[in-house]
Amino acid sequence: MILAAFIVTALAALGLIAVSRTHRQMNSICIGEAAVFLGLEIWLLLSGQIPVLSLVLGNQYFFIDHLGLYEALIASIIFLLAAIYARGYVDNLLESRELGRGSLKLFYVAWAFLLALIVFAFFSDNLALFWIFTELTTVVSAILIAILYARDNIDAAIKYIFIASVSMLFSFVGLIFLFQISRSTFDPGTLNWTVLMQQAPAFPAGMMLAAFALLFIGFAAKSGIFPFHTWLPEAHVRAPSAVSALLSGVLLNVGIYGIIRIFALVHRTTAVSTVSILLLVFGLLTVGIAAISMLPQKKLKKLIAFSSIENMGLILVGLAIATPVAIFWTLFHVMAHSFTKAGLFFSAGILHRQYHSPLSADAVDDMHDVFRFQPVAAWGIILGGLAIIGMPLFPVFLSKLFILTQLFTVSLPALVLLLVLLFIAAASFGYYVISTFTQVSQPGPDAHDIVAYKTPAGMQWPIIILIVMIFILGTVFTSGETGFLNTIVAELMF
Amino acid sequence: MIDPALIQSVIRVLFAVVIITAAYIISTRNLSTLVSAYAFQSLTLVFMALALWSLEDAPILLAIAIITFISKVLIIPYFITTIQERIRIKRDIEFHFLSPTTSLLLSMGLILFIYIALSNILKDTAARESLFFFGAVIGLSLMLMGMMVTFSRKRAITKVLGYLSMENGVLLFGMFVTELPFIIEFLIVIDLIILVMLTTILSVGLDSTLEEYHDRLHRFHLVEDTEEGS
Repeated sequence: MILAAFIVTALAALGLIAVSRTHRQMNSICIGEAAVFLGLEIWLLLSGQIPVLSLVLGNQYFFIDHLGLYEALIASIIFLLAAIYARGYVDNLLESRELGRGSLKLFYVAWAFLLALIVFAFFSDNLALFWIFTELTTVVSAILIAILYARDNIDAAIKYIFIASVSMLFSFVGLIFLFQISRSTFDPGTLNWTVLMQQAPAFPAGMMLAAFALLFIGFAAKSGIFPFHTWLPEAHVRAPSAVSALLSGVLLNVGIYGIIRIFALVHRTTAVSTVSILLLVFGLLTVGIAAISMLPQKKLKKLIAFSSIENMGLILVGLAIATPVAIFWTLFHVMAHSFTKAGLFFSAGILHRQYHSPLSADAVDDMHDVFRFQPVAAWGIILGGLAIIGMPLFPVFLSKLFILTQLFTVSLPALVLLLVLLFIAAASFGYYVISTFTQVSQPGPDAHDIVAYKTPAGMQWPIIILIVMIFILGTVFTSGETGFLNTIVAELMF
Repeated sequence: MIDPALIQSVIRVLFAVVIITAAYIISTRNLSTLVSAYAFQSLTLVFMALALWSLEDAPILLAIAIITFISKVLIIPYFITTIQERIRIKRDIEFHFLSPTTSLLLSMGLILFIYIALSNILKDTAARESLFFFGAVIGLSLMLMGMMVTFSRKRAITKVLGYLSMENGVLLFGMFVTELPFIIEFLIVIDLIILVMLTTILSVGLDSTLEEYHDRLHRFHLVEDTEEGS
């Protein structure tokens, strides 16, 4: 029944956007949708009746377990804050004629639809259903990227669609494999994750390895894992910043969620040793590519985008270790990364509004006097940057620390390599922030040619809320939080 | 009933036809024949599903045949042709990395590779009857050949056709290896139609200047007319 509430909310939101006339109305509807979703999820969390099975018509297509709820909660919080942020941001896009009024409705319809698709993806028990929802998120988020009046945006969107969809077709072949495996073990075969988890110990290792490799291609492309990451920096840079936050904070999690589910299946078979090595290698390669690409970066949003790739690599490494402690902290890292990254993209969006060059979108950001013009965004970048590189008091510090100590038990060379790469990434972030934010123009009559962009409070509050949230996450640990994450690990049978 | 041996040989002929259409899609430069080649390839899949249906009597195959015919032989080619006529692109002569000849040689290598790889993976499963095994090989080859088109062509509209051809490969593979529930086949077709519509609309944008693009979008009623004031 609870699922029906989600569906009704999503449909109501889409319907209302279709009939609403002003930007303010459409934006409020999106805020409302995310708030209702969040309310429903918190109610589910408190009612303690998860895992919920067989929600609609007694079929087994959907279910809600702790992992799904966890991811959906993260998604709804970020969508809520991003929608609040989007009001001021989109207003400015309209003013600067980067977004046409005619496209406004399409933008918000895609926005509301994307949230619903992502939440349903997290609530899918049937892996084929999950595949469909994931595939649709690509298409819908590509609309959000291509919506601006710029050829580069269309280019980035098309690149994203083709890389993600082509890879997702490989995933589908993987699903066919998986279905055939389950059919040869248990007639009539199923793609329901809960049933597969029970059957998994009987699956042949060779076939499972083939199925995992194929499924991994698609989900890796969705989450920006090397070598399928090439769409990510472009899409994140070109998209409006409110959308970049969604892409990085929520959409990458969809791919990771898929990998976690499939890996939990493989973990029950004997193929797990090979798959772990595969994950570790791809994780390290991803972190390496991201760290090296971050070093010469002169554009803030591109730097943050590559940092997302780096964190996805780290999550893969955490999964590869596959001990309960490592999985616990990997899940924690997913949340820590999402909130931190959303805050960073919000701040970068404000700076982008302030300093973007009207002549060329690809010009290097020419930032100076950031503290005078945009103090909140500047502090957002500094604190967010400290958080994402893993400074103490922030949650990423904890997850990085524990993933690294767990990696020590598996392989020392991998640990050393990872430490060096993480250091390079952190250093390039620090270098960028120090060199850009210390540029102060000389006081003089002609120094004030730039007009301060009046940032609406609605764009600043989400950043402050996120910073406070990650600060609390990094310092306070409640037993409820630990218990919840431990339940997820237990449900994944690690 | 028709003799099963006859049907099996018909299916073998259809395999050859599929590979020929795939080779044609890889090498042709003319966009309208590209679309026809795709429609013809889909039609071959329809016949294959029907032939399998008469062999196995599984109603799902009939359903696949019907849905493939409606979506991939009628709707999608019609949509692409309409868009193509409006934006007046006739030829896609730019190949990114691979010339047609290299692509063809490469795809022959791919088919061989998949044959060897699959016979290793499927060594100990029931699927290794000759016809079904062969179907899986052709399906995967078609998929990889489609992928080559997607990544070697420059225009988005040609890339779409590569993607569609890939999806045909997946369908073929699924048809011969296992029986997926119908709901899944149906949802994939929906996904495919949305994806094709979006990418072709976006490709209109890439192949024109932006002002023209927005004019065209208005002409197709894809975005609403400007509302003043908020």
